[in-house]
Amino acid sequence: MAKYILRRLVFMLLTMLLVSIAVFLISEAAPGDVARHILGQFASPEQVELMREQLGLTQPLYVRYADWLIGNDWRLTRLVDMPLKFTIIAGKTEPQWYAVAPDGTLRQWRLKKDEGLIEYRFAQDGTQELATVTDWQLDEEGEEIFWGVDTANHVVLWRKEGARRQFGAAAGRAMTEGSGERYYPIRKGLLRGDPGISTRTGRPVGPTIVRRMRNSFTLAAIAFAFIMPIALLLGLLAGLREGSPLDRSVSLFSLITTSVPEFASGVFLILIFAFWLELLPGAAVFVDDIAPWQDPKLLVLPVLTLTLVEIGYVARMTRASMIEVMNAPYIRTAFLKGLPYRRVIFKHAVRNALMAPITVIMLHVNWLIGGIVVVESVFGYPGLGMYMLDSALFKDINAIEAGAMVMVALAVGTQLVADVIYTFLNPRIRYT
Amino acid sequence: MEIIRKKKQTDVHPYIPELKEVYRAGRCTRREFLQTATLLGMSFASASAFLTACGPKPTEAPTTAPVTEPTAVPAPTGPARGGTMTVATRVQRLDHPARLSWIEGANAMRLVNEYLTFTDWDNITHPWLLEKWEANDEVDEWTLYLRKGIKFNDGVELTADDVVFNMQQWFDDEVGSSIKGLMSYLTPDNIEKVDDYTIKLYLDSGNIGVPQHLFHYPALIVPKTFEGDWVRQPVGTGPFTLSEYVEAERAVFVRREDYWKMGEDGQSLPYLDRVVMLDLGEEDAARIAALQSGQVDNIFNPSAEIWQAVKGLPGIKVYSTPTAQTFVIRMRVDTEPFSNNKVRQALKKCIDRQKALDLAWFGEGVLGHDAHIAPVHPAYCEKPIPPYDPEGAKALLAEAGYPDGLTVDLYTQEARAEPALAQSLKETAAAGGININLNILPSAQYWDIWTEVDLGITIWAHRPLGTMVPALAYTADADGNPGAWNETRWVDKEFSDLLREAERTLDVEARREIFCQMEDIQQERGSVGIAFYTSVWYICNEKFQNVQAHPTNYDHFDNVWIKE
Repeated sequence: MAKYILRRLVFMLLTMLLVSIAVFLISEAAPGDVARHILGQFASPEQVELMREQLGLTQPLYVRYADWLIGNDWRLTRLVDMPLKFTIIAGKTEPQWYAVAPDGTLRQWRLKKDEGLIEYRFAQDGTQELATVTDWQLDEEGEEIFWGVDTANHVVLWRKEGARRQFGAAAGRAMTEGSGERYYPIRKGLLRGDPGISTRTGRPVGPTIVRRMRNSFTLAAIAFAFIMPIALLLGLLAGLREGSPLDRSVSLFSLITTSVPEFASGVFLILIFAFWLELLPGAAVFVDDIAPWQDPKLLVLPVLTLTLVEIGYVARMTRASMIEVMNAPYIRTAFLKGLPYRRVIFKHAVRNALMAPITVIMLHVNWLIGGIVVVESVFGYPGLGMYMLDSALFKDINAIEAGAMVMVALAVGTQLVADVIYTFLNPRIRYT
Repeated sequence: MEIIRKKKQTDVHPYIPELKEVYRAGRCTRREFLQTATLLGMSFASASAFLTACGPKPTEAPTTAPVTEPTAVPAPTGPARGGTMTVATRVQRLDHPARLSWIEGANAMRLVNEYLTFTDWDNITHPWLLEKWEANDEVDEWTLYLRKGIKFNDGVELTADDVVFNMQQWFDDEVGSSIKGLMSYLTPDNIEKVDDYTIKLYLDSGNIGVPQHLFHYPALIVPKTFEGDWVRQPVGTGPFTLSEYVEAERAVFVRREDYWKMGEDGQSLPYLDRVVMLDLGEEDAARIAALQSGQVDNIFNPSAEIWQAVKGLPGIKVYSTPTAQTFVIRMRVDTEPFSNNKVRQALKKCIDRQKALDLAWFGEGVLGHDAHIAPVHPAYCEKPIPPYDPEGAKALLAEAGYPDGLTVDLYTQEARAEPALAQSLKETAAAGGININLNILPSAQYWDIWTEVDLGITIWAHRPLGTMVPALAYTADADGNPGAWNETRWVDKEFSDLLREAERTLDVEARREIFCQMEDIQQERGSVGIAFYTSVWYICNEKFQNVQAHPTNYDHFDNVWIKE
């Protein structure tokens, strides 16, 4: 069993790797330019080009993928000729990249007009010292250059004779300044726990995605907690009394709710409960991170929408499975040998009838995640789904990749859980 | 003493007395008088006082709404204090205000930082951080007098040094502000600090638009210690301070106690305690539902669809204002087939303007006539609206060598009015012999190619003066090549000369004469079809007082209050 789970985990990692490559390629092929998105309609082509370079988009695809996966600080260290360190220093609010000088001070550089290239030296206690750079190096053509770390987490090549770029009227619009000649954004890579910076928000993906996941899981977990008992119960009851009025109404209800997509049922529910009856808020507006705990009414309509879509499917699956089991010879035998009805149902029928629904339910975790994207968008719910959708529209590759990895892990992970649950429901199943 | 008295006389720009005569003679409207007089440094109060003294004017154009002082809304009990305004908008990534490229971000920063001037809801420009300004006769020398005693929210006083620092940033290539392109008549060397509260600008060529340019949305004033990241350093003179900024989720602003502007009750503004901006994504349904159930109080820049959905809701008030925002059907004049003016004219004849406006914007706007000067602009020259004429288009196409019609590709972005306008044009143009293939692209993709395609539909935002868009879109640069944003490559010497003249012309009537000629030229041989100018809406919970629709969707919450 342990061996089996281990094998499945390795398989999961392999899947994630393949998916990450696929997402990278698809995103590369998709139209639109993230730099243009950030800069807007009136940015000149030169500005867009500079922004692309500062985002690292001008490097070849495989380099960008490798940087994303395993980072590039170890590679860029050679350019700067000092170790690079991602740390937070006293007095600052966010961690940043610094070069670590042999004397132990942390360094960054910035080109200042009329002053030249300034070196910022930070001691461990946060004190700061400024110096003008004098140790320029010579490149192959004998020009003076300098590789350093700027204040926005890039390794930058500066040239003493000033930037060679020629800009139009409104030039240099970029993340910090346009003074450098080459830019390499520094990163640790996903495998070392750094999903990168979101190009859409300019903030690290990690904390955001954790917060968004928490919101989505809250929604999904509550929906799941509603859907499963109700759907299983309805399905079992309907299956036990095939053809009865109860069976008919359950079937009709599930057919209707499953066939109406989330974006339609969500809007119907908003119209009924928010606009017409004015009972519930029509959008899941988060005025702060703990909004749903302060005002649980926010979650009612999103949960209801998800429930409606999912419940019918699971109920019908359970019903079919139950009918099949009830018609099986061993159930007839059980009845014939005089076992009480209750005992036949609970001991022999239900347990077997649940096999199919468990697969469906576990597959439905994926469905639920997909449905959440739609539901979150309809209700303005700040969850993982909306984050993925917005990021995809923006071509924010780091955010898309991180979201995709979470989703793959969930999808493959739930299958693994389903397989393990089978062994308890049916002792005949053995995994090796 | 003698000198001081003299100074007092020159307080008023020499053109003002003449302008008064022009107004008395009925040659300009009330609004045009106010716009020009305030631009030249006359205070809004004295300009209004003059108008009141003149009494109502029978010759006034009927389209002009009466100008009301925004702060003079009758309030029987006076404004109440307290409360929160919650806005549904995008919460974007921000850094340097001078680098702003979207209004959403500007509206967030505007709560904390302020402009030197303020162009109000009626297109009239007032001093704001400035006490007043003066211009010389040639309008190429401007003196800006800073208001005294204004403090940043870190306690430091605002002085001319801060203003000069900001202006240097605007013109610094490494900051890369769009102000540099807009104020191309100014170089950093020609900005002079006279004393702690006085700044002089020496323009390369006269321009009446300086005060309005100082209200260009990236021209927010930051302290001279600003390092380039507003979220980390939200220091400004404005009525609110930043308390939380989570990109793509929300921004929270709280009232500042020592703001320099006073409310009607004699205490510091603002009346509101908090402003919260919430990012509810792109989906209309979420924003409409949130507005309806009172979770948000207003929706930033609502689309026509949102307006349709919420206009009748109880408790919601819709404010509307006409603008110069338009969706330009633009044809590149340096490639076939639109290099031939007959083909361009034929396509313009194929526009059914009223139908396009009805389909794309529910009829909320005014019709255009293929010249990029809108009826809301001062000195606009009224022209008849060209009729829909498919037969005329066919005849022109035949003359141009396309007797069997022609097929063209049209590109535009999938946003707001563009798809509906494109669809309407496709249908009305088919009757005129022009077969249009539609390519509706995601926004970012269209902005990548908007200056390159042969035929496209591009949105152009409202700008307060009629000279501002033509200067960006229909002129050549210093080398004679079409400017960076001249998407159609249309350069017409006569048009450009008239435009330069208009930029220097103070007399409204004389400027109108020039605009008449410019509009004629664009109609006869221009490169764009302009079907309509749209209105914008400001959709807000009715309990908020002192809110209005601004033509460029700028929010101003300093004197907004809640009437329960």
